[in-house]
Amino acid sequence: MSPPSGVSRRSLLAAGGLGLGALALGGCAGGTGGVPAGEGWRRFAGTTINFVSENTAPTAAIAANLRPFTELTGIDVRIATYDITSCMQVASLDFASGAAEYHVVYADPWMMLAPLARGMADLREFLEDDSYPQPEGGLADFVPAMLEVEGRFASKGPLYTLPYDCPTLLLHYRKDLFDKYGERIADELGFDPTPGGSLTWEQYGKVGKWFNDNVDEVDYGIGLMAKQHDSLSCDYGNLLWAYGGDYFAAGQRIGLLGATDPGECTLDSPEAVAAAEMYMRLVRVAHPGSPGWDWDSSGAALRSGRIAMCANWHENAAANEQAMPGKIGYATLPRGPARSGNMFGGTGIGVNNDARGAQRGAAWLFVNWATSPAVQLANLASPVGGGTPTRQSVYRKPQVVAAEHRPSKMPNMLASQAAHQAWRPGYLGSRPKIPMWNEVLVTVYTGLSYMVAGDRTPSAAMRRIAHDVRQIVARGWHA
Amino acid sequence: MTALDVQAQEPDVESREVAKPRRIRFTGRLMAPGVVVLAALSVLPTVVLVAMSFSTVSLVGGFRLHFAGGHNWARIFSDGAFWRSWGTTALYLVLTIGLELVLGTALALALYRFARGRGALLSLLLLPMFVAPVIVGLLGRFLTDSAYGLYAWLLSQIGYHAEILAHGPSAFTAVVAMDVWEWTPLLMLIVLAGLSSMNPAVVEAASLDGASGWRMFRHITLPSISSVLLVGLLIRSMDAIRYFDIITITTNGGPADATKTAPVRLYETAFRFFDIGYAAVTGILMLVVTIVVARGFIRVLGRGADA
Repeated sequence: MSPPSGVSRRSLLAAGGLGLGALALGGCAGGTGGVPAGEGWRRFAGTTINFVSENTAPTAAIAANLRPFTELTGIDVRIATYDITSCMQVASLDFASGAAEYHVVYADPWMMLAPLARGMADLREFLEDDSYPQPEGGLADFVPAMLEVEGRFASKGPLYTLPYDCPTLLLHYRKDLFDKYGERIADELGFDPTPGGSLTWEQYGKVGKWFNDNVDEVDYGIGLMAKQHDSLSCDYGNLLWAYGGDYFAAGQRIGLLGATDPGECTLDSPEAVAAAEMYMRLVRVAHPGSPGWDWDSSGAALRSGRIAMCANWHENAAANEQAMPGKIGYATLPRGPARSGNMFGGTGIGVNNDARGAQRGAAWLFVNWATSPAVQLANLASPVGGGTPTRQSVYRKPQVVAAEHRPSKMPNMLASQAAHQAWRPGYLGSRPKIPMWNEVLVTVYTGLSYMVAGDRTPSAAMRRIAHDVRQIVARGWHA
Repeated sequence: MTALDVQAQEPDVESREVAKPRRIRFTGRLMAPGVVVLAALSVLPTVVLVAMSFSTVSLVGGFRLHFAGGHNWARIFSDGAFWRSWGTTALYLVLTIGLELVLGTALALALYRFARGRGALLSLLLLPMFVAPVIVGLLGRFLTDSAYGLYAWLLSQIGYHAEILAHGPSAFTAVVAMDVWEWTPLLMLIVLAGLSSMNPAVVEAASLDGASGWRMFRHITLPSISSVLLVGLLIRSMDAIRYFDIITITTNGGPADATKTAPVRLYETAFRFFDIGYAAVTGILMLVVTIVVARGFIRVLGRGADA
């Protein structure tokens, strides 16, 4: 007997099955979390491992839903989260002790992987061993640039981590205000102010000033993250690449793959100085609070209606959407004479090389599971976290594609199209992956802070930074 | 005293001389656990610290020292940022300790005059001291934010509109003010304890001799409380030299290194750059400076207390 609607029992069962499947995949409420439960997953059942991570959205989502992994493998996972600097300290002290208190390590490619690569296991050990479950879809499923930046260091051979998250700096802007004032701005300034496309940094500054002078809905047009903090180096880095400069003569080669010896520093090149001069022009029209803001503060300023535009991590789209539903748009950052540079800040997770026995194998199973397409899909919809996938197959899933447009059940996907453009060659910007990066980073943002405070001119600041970086590089590195 | 008496006393003298080393051995045994713990917790790390300052330290693959001679020590002479951080530390130390001393003493003197309600007032004034420094830093950051900060708003009412933590002088003033807000109550408490233990007869005698106001404070009160002031200054100076939390939370050493003190730089060198050998040099210098400052206070105030 057919149901009154005329829909067959077979199609009803099929629809129900699909619905349940999607529910299980999306919610990861039980079972294996959508990860194929093949052979090898339970070989370390009864083991307990520890994972040290930065307090990021993907880790929050995974921590809130570890049961599927435990049910799949019988492995118990304890997660400790810290801010990135503390996470780095914990990992380095663990490497120094050799005790492998933490078996899975969140390894920022610049701050942690480059200086501490010897502390991480080469994952080929597991990838070439058929007794271990292999990553679903293979390594080819990861976004290629992410695999290179997050997973490798100095050589195409060893693979230290699998891509885990992929925050990228994009332009976040008040789409509602651009819809309202866009034509007027174009008429008065004589160019198309729409973010993305051909908008230059020079024009971005002019649009910011126009907002300062003409718009009541926000206090200022532009916000910067110019605090003496990593954020200042990120903010400037976008302009550095846009103006054709880079940190070292080897350019993006050491940004993508990394090197133990970075070579000649080029932060006093005419391009680097031009980028610094442009940054100072932005400082003059930006919200006066900008010199005290990092990425959290500038994001908060955008969400509270104090500014109309700022560069920020694309994974903040969910928070933006919650605070200002439908009002914030995303685009690649403005262009300079050379290109648009969009700082990539993704991180991978790997296995502590000191981990031994069952815990070493269990750590690999967790790395494999946590970066699997099913878990990344579940993270996208997680109510406590989010992040964005590092797997190409996840971006192709119909529900993920649908979420790129409002109304979206996965609001981080609202920034996805701009992010995909930012990951293309010619848009992506990666800081130098060198062992002495932490000291170079502090030197760069401290020198820039002197410039922002007005204590040094852009050219004097960049000369001083380059001089100090050369000294750091000349001293070499011991880890 | 007769000769017999003297003879009778001689064995006692001998027995005391014999017993003396026995007593030392016994007390030595009593002290041994403490000395061992002290050595483990203090002497051993100090020896390792000195060894690290003459080494390049490797962390990955196990903690190892590679002898580097005087390289780390030589670096401090060409490191401008290192000396700037010490200059900032000195200014921070002088301002915080100076302000806390003056305000703490003034509050204690005012409180001392209250016969009624002193307990309640004291409890209220002591509250900041019980807040964790990291929370003081967070509070300070919120209160000085130009968008929603109460202090920023109050300053804007008198014409100061700049972002407080975004400019060197105002950021430095702000972190000093946060430290002073938190730790003035400690000095107030210590001075109040000193005032309470003053001999009332001396005060009364001075009053009868016509001393009052500043002269009473300068010649009677201050000498009477100088020993407790010394304790307060020693505690606060040792604390201020290694102060870290508030600065890290509010300014991270910026803007333009305006608040980067030696401990902030030490932290950066050790735990961000993993340059442990060079960080050990800063650590040893902090220890030396702390001892020198403490000896200075003891010399100046200890002399006053003895007099």
